[in-house]
Amino acid sequence: MATREIISTGNELAAIAGVDAGCTFFGGYPLTPSSEVMHVISDLLPKVGGTCIQMEDEIAAICAVIGAGMAGKRTMTGTSGPGMSLKAENLGLAQMAEVPLVCVNVMRGGPSTGLPTRVSQGDILQSKNPSHGDYKSITLCAGTLAECYTETVRAFNIADRFMQPVIVLLDETIGHMHGKAELPTLEEVKAGIVPRKKFDGPAEEYFPYECEHDEPAVLNPMFEGYRYHFTGLHHDKNGFPTEEIETCRKLIQRLEDKVALHEEELESYEEFMMDDAEVMIIAYGSVSLAAKESIRHLRADGIKAGLFRPITIWPSPAKKIKEHTDKIEKVLVVELNIGQFHSEVQRASSRLDIDGLFKVNGRPISPYEIVNKVKEL
Amino acid sequence: MSKTLMRFTGVGGQGVLLAGEIFAAAKIKTGGYGLKTATYTSQVRGGPTVVDIQLDDKEIYYPYANDGEISFMLSVAQVSYNSFKDGVQKGGTIVIDPNLVKPTDEDRKIWNIYEIPIITIAKEEVGNVITQSVVALAIANTMMNAIDKDILIETMLSKVPAKVHDVNKVAYSLGEKYAKEAMAK
Repeated sequence: MATREIISTGNELAAIAGVDAGCTFFGGYPLTPSSEVMHVISDLLPKVGGTCIQMEDEIAAICAVIGAGMAGKRTMTGTSGPGMSLKAENLGLAQMAEVPLVCVNVMRGGPSTGLPTRVSQGDILQSKNPSHGDYKSITLCAGTLAECYTETVRAFNIADRFMQPVIVLLDETIGHMHGKAELPTLEEVKAGIVPRKKFDGPAEEYFPYECEHDEPAVLNPMFEGYRYHFTGLHHDKNGFPTEEIETCRKLIQRLEDKVALHEEELESYEEFMMDDAEVMIIAYGSVSLAAKESIRHLRADGIKAGLFRPITIWPSPAKKIKEHTDKIEKVLVVELNIGQFHSEVQRASSRLDIDGLFKVNGRPISPYEIVNKVKEL
Repeated sequence: MSKTLMRFTGVGGQGVLLAGEIFAAAKIKTGGYGLKTATYTSQVRGGPTVVDIQLDDKEIYYPYANDGEISFMLSVAQVSYNSFKDGVQKGGTIVIDPNLVKPTDEDRKIWNIYEIPIITIAKEEVGNVITQSVVALAIANTMMNAIDKDILIETMLSKVPAKVHDVNKVAYSLGEKYAKEAMAK
């Protein structure tokens, strides 16, 4: 398969990916350490006829993105934890009204303003449920420079397939590190674009929210003759507010099932030296890079360690995790928070003896810290 | 060539980031792996900044230089020097701007410390203070012999505007000259 080599940063690669995937609208508000996503795309989008707008804050940014999404555009925003907190309400609106969009979150230390320039993975649970209510979030997490590109591209196709927001998690380290990325060719990316479904029957027969129990809404672009009502309230097949008991139940169950019953389409993970592993390290994002380095050292010392790295974080690859944890006794979750994915591994494995190595001081976890922890297990 | 780990430290706004990017890109051009990471504080102008540069023939996973493994550090700010010097391996090389960094006598026993007035060279001899990152680049490469000089200069020129190519070439030559003189002492 042909590839192309780009020397760049994770943030820049996410921005390039957006444009290559057909994004024509970016609404944002720059926030460390994600600012370069907006900086770069503000340069690229006008060159392809797209629009980048800096709104007055993160709330306005996500609202602008939802509007452009309703108009049929592929849309994107970028931010960090504090911005995610502000966007939360309207991410819920996009879940309820079924508007596809891609939201890149370059994680930094939190809560609140936290450690703006330093690395963290503290937004794992937030990305599962940014807003109140029931829905099934989709979150992808880049673990290499190349994945900052490929996962952003994948996010656009998933957003259009499932008609909902898709969060792409980067972290400060991966967003800012500068090196080589082997990427698919532009032709391949373009050929892989699957646009959202459209209804092309008579306008009077168009009911965007009348769909199978596990299928997403079909939202035709606004201003093309197909009319529907747009609301965050529970709604009927036309989008009008309703409190009718069965309609309300079916709507929320469908938001869950359209993802839950198709998890296999979303599942993505990497297994690194897992074939003969007697110790399983679970890590994602930039921490997985330290884990890979630690495995080099551990193997040199005769310890058969391997890495399981979830790429789709939500829904989590729970079945695959259980397959491994049923066989491997020593399991260590390494993450830059106090066990946010660790609790998911406990759930998936039905085991409470899963070990953890956590750090929340804005500094990365070094390979040697992992080596030492594994030797203690 | 085996793995080379270098660290550039300064304060935000001095342009130490660019030198790291040039090193990484030049190494990749030669078919190897290069990675640059930077750490800075929320005090963007004036806060301590550290840039780690890793060059290797095999794939680099962990993007930061591990403390104790760094063979070369260049520092143009006391606050950064104090914070990051302990990452340099014993007997390693540290280049400082003597007008901005004062090492202790103890430090001089642990590391090979060279004093080169990088900022003054850029400001007065090259005539453009912004070229200090290229002076630093030349010093690091001359002392570490990390990358083919022509490839490094070519990469550097690809990253700066055409109108300042000549001044940056001068900056590189001066950095190289001062590094050679320092090593000969």
